[in-house]
Amino acid sequence: MGIYFRESGILTTIQDAGRFGYQQFGVSPAGPMDTKAFNLANILVGNKRSEGALEITFLGPTIVVEEDNIFAVTGGELSPTLNDENIPMYTAILAKAGDEIKFGMAGANGCRAYLSFAGGLDVPEVMGSKATLLRNKLGGLDGRAIKKEDRIGFVNPKSELQNMESRHLPIDIYPIKETVLRVITGPQDGNFSKEELRNFFWYGAEITNEFDRMGCRLERVEPLKHSFNNGNIMTDGIAFGSIQVPSNGQPIIMLADRQSTGGYAKIGNVISVDLPKLAQSKPGYKVRFVSVSIELAQQLYNRQLKEINDYDNKLNSEE
Amino acid sequence: MKAEFLTVGDSAVSIQLGSEISLEINRLVRMLYKDIETNPIDGVVEMVPTYASLMVHYRAETIEYKKLISIIEERINDMNQDVEEKHIVKEIPICYGKDLGPDLELCASIEGISEDEIIRKHSEHIYYAYMLGFAPGHAYMSRFEEPFSFKRRESPRIKIAAGSIVAMESLSNFIPFEQPCGWNILGGTPLKVCDYKREDPFIVHAGEYVKFTPVSIKDYERIRELDLNDRYIINTFEKAVD
Repeated sequence: MGIYFRESGILTTIQDAGRFGYQQFGVSPAGPMDTKAFNLANILVGNKRSEGALEITFLGPTIVVEEDNIFAVTGGELSPTLNDENIPMYTAILAKAGDEIKFGMAGANGCRAYLSFAGGLDVPEVMGSKATLLRNKLGGLDGRAIKKEDRIGFVNPKSELQNMESRHLPIDIYPIKETVLRVITGPQDGNFSKEELRNFFWYGAEITNEFDRMGCRLERVEPLKHSFNNGNIMTDGIAFGSIQVPSNGQPIIMLADRQSTGGYAKIGNVISVDLPKLAQSKPGYKVRFVSVSIELAQQLYNRQLKEINDYDNKLNSEE
Repeated sequence: MKAEFLTVGDSAVSIQLGSEISLEINRLVRMLYKDIETNPIDGVVEMVPTYASLMVHYRAETIEYKKLISIIEERINDMNQDVEEKHIVKEIPICYGKDLGPDLELCASIEGISEDEIIRKHSEHIYYAYMLGFAPGHAYMSRFEEPFSFKRRESPRIKIAAGSIVAMESLSNFIPFEQPCGWNILGGTPLKVCDYKREDPFIVHAGEYVKFTPVSIKDYERIRELDLNDRYIINTFEKAVD
């Protein structure tokens, strides 16, 4: 027994931390778009951080809980309710058998929510991971998004957890209308003239409708001009947040379901702590890039990780 | 060995060991990959070898950028370049022409040679898998003798079947999953190129060699049946050092 989907929502997938070690075979890691919100969802219900949870996009599902279990919702605000009553986000809540968790449309704050259940979801691991990779029909529920009338079992449901009354965390506030993303230039910044690099940081871009788990296509008023080979490079590796500039000069930020390698010049890479901001942005938002050093990026990353570790210790370390 | 370190955000570094597609440079990439695989560096999550560079994904909480590149620099300096990897050759059955290879006839007419001669050129030589990418199990392979002159088709096909074997110039790839493709299709392999359920899902890894073995449609069906039941064993041999 676990959960039953009365409605699936637009795009609901099972994600864990991601599938690592297989990029060398051409397999994308997948995993959550907003890693921070995903981690906090698991921490709130006492799971290990990498446990499988649901990633819910734009318009959420209606879920019947068929067995008592504790859940939490983090990330984008999609008006979650429990039996039609509004429920707080970033808070562990007990659902009784028969209760209904329902999500609405994304409001002003973000667009991707994470729903975790204590003890995790009973989904088989493929190549060591529960993460759904839609493009290659891999992981999750038969490699696909959740459909109406799907059922997912619980592994080890819990009706109580220690510190139940203090299991809540501060809500993250995401950008509205304009998202500032800090970027480390490279690996192929040398494929652009100094002037084009300056233009990249000086003039913003707009998030287009082509924004999915694989990547976020931007539109600049003035496309970027390549100095060499029309943007083609000898195929090399791609990371989470790599900003690829294809021949047409319109950047694509590569995200969770990115291809592991690619043949277009990458002007820069969005820093890890800013990827959640992008994951929670919507088509039509403006994006502006700011150049930072790798030292600063790693300091910020370590600081964010410490914050997450502190929450985990506060809620989940044994007394 | 000359190496250039290119930052790829705060969680990856691309170590570029050359600027051309060549066996020589790709072997350096393999060597560095093997070196780090054999003696792992704390904090390295995974590595992705490509034509001329090795991408190293790492966790900054365990190892910061400067420290990581100084360790890798040291590894590169200390590396014994005389150690050769074993050259594994895998024999991949292929049925040429007809429905499985709809472009065989066209390719023969472009080259001005017979279909049999296309098959001979394609299957007589050994291919090297430089890297995997694009899709799970998709190997970028090339042979070193008798390249074809034909390139991509004028208009790409919207869908080609899994198992299709496509070619242009000296390059040839097998297609793991149904996909759009602009290359000419010479034939099909009865083997599953990628099967997530297998212990090793990928029939060829980067750094390995492939030899295509022509089979009749009858053998194609027989091998396919065996492989579907996981009872086909790919013939493998070691290539003599060149």
